[in-house]
Amino acid sequence: MSIVLPPNVSERSFQKALDAFAGVVGKQWVLATDEDRHTYMDIYAAGDADRHVPSAAVGPQSPEEVQAIIRIANEHKVPLWPISRGKNLGYGAAAPCMSGTVVLDLGRMKRILEVNERFGYCLIEPGVGFFDLFNYLQANKIPLWMSVPANAWGSVVGNALERGYGYTPYGDNTSHICGMEVVLANGEMVRTGTGAMSNSPCWQLFKYGYGPAWDQLFVQSNFGVVTKMGLWLMPEPEATLGLAMQLQEPDDVGWAVDELAPLRLNGVLLQSPSIGNSLRIAASQSQRTQWYDGDGAMPDDVLRQVLQKFGLGWWNIDLWLYGYDDVNEAHARIIKNAFAKHSKQEFKVTKWHRGEPIANSGAGVPSTNALQIVNWRGGRGGHLGFSPVMPPTSEHVLKQFHSTKKRYEEIGVDYYGSFTLMERYTTNVNLMVYDQNDSAMTAKVRALFKVLVADAAKEGYSEYRTHLSYMDDVALTFDYNNHALLRLNETVKDALDPNGILAPGKQGIWPRTYRSEKT
Amino acid sequence: MEIFPETGCIARLAIVIALGASLAAFGVTRIVAQEKTSEASARKMAEGKALFQARCGYCHLAGGTGTLMLGRRLGKDKALLASRTDLSAEYIKKITRVGINSMPPHTRIEVPDSELDLIAAYLTRPESERGASEPKADSLPGSEPIRE
Repeated sequence: MSIVLPPNVSERSFQKALDAFAGVVGKQWVLATDEDRHTYMDIYAAGDADRHVPSAAVGPQSPEEVQAIIRIANEHKVPLWPISRGKNLGYGAAAPCMSGTVVLDLGRMKRILEVNERFGYCLIEPGVGFFDLFNYLQANKIPLWMSVPANAWGSVVGNALERGYGYTPYGDNTSHICGMEVVLANGEMVRTGTGAMSNSPCWQLFKYGYGPAWDQLFVQSNFGVVTKMGLWLMPEPEATLGLAMQLQEPDDVGWAVDELAPLRLNGVLLQSPSIGNSLRIAASQSQRTQWYDGDGAMPDDVLRQVLQKFGLGWWNIDLWLYGYDDVNEAHARIIKNAFAKHSKQEFKVTKWHRGEPIANSGAGVPSTNALQIVNWRGGRGGHLGFSPVMPPTSEHVLKQFHSTKKRYEEIGVDYYGSFTLMERYTTNVNLMVYDQNDSAMTAKVRALFKVLVADAAKEGYSEYRTHLSYMDDVALTFDYNNHALLRLNETVKDALDPNGILAPGKQGIWPRTYRSEKT
Repeated sequence: MEIFPETGCIARLAIVIALGASLAAFGVTRIVAQEKTSEASARKMAEGKALFQARCGYCHLAGGTGTLMLGRRLGKDKALLASRTDLSAEYIKKITRVGINSMPPHTRIEVPDSELDLIAAYLTRPESERGASEPKADSLPGSEPIRE
């Protein structure tokens, strides 16, 4: 594997930068062998890993080392791609958007600086993983619950910065960020919110501070490197009540959304339920060849056999209620009555009360078991997610579902989708699972992704998050006033980062220096 | 937001607890100073075990995703890495860095070389250092049934 240098950087300048990085972090933490570069590539790439090849990686252990690295990067015009733990799986993992970029791996910065039980928050560094924080809370018997994504291998900070989700009432992780420490592209360190005061006791309590609130400007952006984050944690409730239901027909998702959306809006449901098709369960428990070995999308009649074997519905819903026992029971009755209008099927009920084993509760317990799905097609598994956001109504959801499934079938990929209901929108996550060794299959997946972005844009739906290879495509769908938002982002980028050293191309935001690299 | 199934809460908790215990043990073992050779060897093995659980345990303890996938691909007797005797240290180290099938490669920041050496030494420990009561993939609490 030959080294790909950053654009317009000579081998000599690049080597000087690496030597200077080593002077800051020590030689051991500048990773620049072929094998190192391989470990930072997109581990789930759909046949396009060579579009996002890192030139090296550097691993600081402190915010001060991050500052020093950024100053060196400016001096040598070497771009950096910050990662927390590099587990942004399905979206590019640890790989940079622009080939030649040096990965700034913050995985060694893993201090849990504070957990405040009284006010329900933590202050942590980017390398802290979901398992790390969960263990800390358990070991210290702190009754605060985390919001944990389905694959919990990654970083708590990284997930919140990418607008990841968990399954508790605090599931919209980004909205629970409160206060950051950020190193800017000129090496200066700032703290947001009331952290901008040298003596505030409210840094993790009050989000806004005074004047513009900057936290969200560092989310899904390339305006700075987040070195500390305050994140609110949920006080352990008195009880949780789980309701699981299967929907037998594809169009049942329509009425389910119409019944659940008002309950999510009015607070009967504090958590965001996910309605997912059965393939996501089948893929975690079996391989495709057991059921079907054809080239095209798995036919509906074969899928019916899978459902029967595993006792699944076409769609499957998990709802969780959190709070006081009596209130949960009352809310469960409201939900059951709403569903009884459409289905005679009973919910499967799971009850938990404080003091009982947490495994039976609706708490976020970290796991990587969801990654079993990548084994669906065998070989070297991978997945890619396409996730447009739309209003939570049956009209939108059914139209989107049928249109997406048709595209999967036309191009020959197994349909794998879900709708997650937030207060005022639903996110339709569609996964494409493939064998990375099968180039014909990954070519189909890439074609499907492009078509889905275009289809969604016609309906006015944007993605909430996307893979490196499609960041420009999705950014261009924000077309109001001839892409005025993109111009604003570029103006801010050029002002904060004139040398364009921080994450060129992230979310379609290219600095002036590298704007010609835009795809 | 992802659309993965919620899988095996009890299995998940068993893994998390093991990881937590291993991290705590690792903290203790790191501050060891001079020791006699046999004690040093035992220490090294304990450190390797703790590191294996901390760095690889996300997927490779009983009930973990790697264990389940290996069970499907190679059979239950080869599912649990810590119980296998057919792997060489060099193979383990190489696979950690380059990945295999659905297992991704691991960087030298996530698992530094010095830690990987200890992990490989633990996984390839001689028979004399393996206890009779070592875990089996399908016998530990937390193992999920392989439904095939």
